[in-house]
Amino acid sequence: MLPGVVGLIQATEVIKLILDNGVPLKGRLLLYDAMKMNFKEVSVSKDPECALCGISATITELIDYTKFCDAKPVTSAQEEFNSESFELSPFEFKTALEYDPTAVLIDVREQYEWEICHIDGARLIPTSSFDPKSSGLSKESSIYLYCYKGQRSIMALKELWKAGYTNLKNLKGGIDLWAEDIDPDMPQY
Amino acid sequence: MTLNNEEISRYSRHLTLPEVGMGGQLKLKEAKILMVGAGGLGSPLGMYLGAVGIGKLGIVDFDVVDHTNLHRQIAHAASDEGRPKVHSLRDTILAGNSNIEIDVHNTRLDRENVMELFEQYDVIADGSDNFETRYLINDAAYFTKKPLVSASIFRFHGQITIFDPDSGGPCYRCLYSEPPPAALVPS
Ligand SMILES: [Zn+2]
Repeated sequence: MLPGVVGLIQATEVIKLILDNGVPLKGRLLLYDAMKMNFKEVSVSKDPECALCGISATITELIDYTKFCDAKPVTSAQEEFNSESFELSPFEFKTALEYDPTAVLIDVREQYEWEICHIDGARLIPTSSFDPKSSGLSKESSIYLYCYKGQRSIMALKELWKAGYTNLKNLKGGIDLWAEDIDPDMPQY
Repeated sequence: MTLNNEEISRYSRHLTLPEVGMGGQLKLKEAKILMVGAGGLGSPLGMYLGAVGIGKLGIVDFDVVDHTNLHRQIAHAASDEGRPKVHSLRDTILAGNSNIEIDVHNTRLDRENVMELFEQYDVIADGSDNFETRYLINDAAYFTKKPLVSASIFRFHGQITIFDPDSGGPCYRCLYSEPPPAALVPS
């Protein structure tokens, strides 16, 4: 039934565009959760650095899409640690989590922060007691880390990286930006 | 372009709505919409676009109707198993409204055929189920300056938005610069 709801909203938006009437779903992303039965709207805007429609676009014609979708960023242990290469925006982080079957979500904040808010499905391993060896995390899984603003989680990520974990992601801007971009109902503190 | 008497009667509840009216109904009749995907999203999308009187509908899909599709791809009947989805969806739409012109493209959308196809339509509706196609559609819609009404579903989540970078909005790549690590999407 989920596709029915979504397909009908899509049809409505097509018809509104043709009629040039109403407020189109432009610059707004509508998220529907059938299990919670709620809709959320997040505003989305042009990325000035977009490879296609940005100021200095690098994609000027159609590319090889099979290759583009197969190429995963690989992190080798020999490389210099570059924190930016692990960062995902809240949108990218959310999508990656949903589509990645080996995803493990780790919250590295402290217990009292966890009690204020946390992302569904996360596991709490506070940085104060963070140790890759005793974490029980598998090197086979993709580890998604977040904290409040993204600083502590990148420290934890670096520890994991040094310990030989390769598939690591950090939520840019932390749960604070997540609350702004993804989950407006989440409290910010 | 005008409406014949059968159309006037069929769309009379539209014609009496100030938001649509005769002007709006004619806009719908003049409109050319290309839908990518004739599955879970494409079924209701195509059935409603056909019913409201979109003049020309293009449908692209390369798949055939399978028994496991029937529980959610409501345009396809059990008797359609094994038929191309574009044919099954076309027949369902035409059974409800034979005024619609439907062009079926029983093929996989790729970079050889996408530009020529998009050029023939006013609006692109993406109901595809994989990232390769989604990026292809996004880029081609950008190059041909066509608004893209994008919808996607995963498990119990759905997302809908309009990408129209030509009018200042974001494109799909503005939101997702890279495909997710494991590009797994069920149809
Ligand atoms: Zn863009």
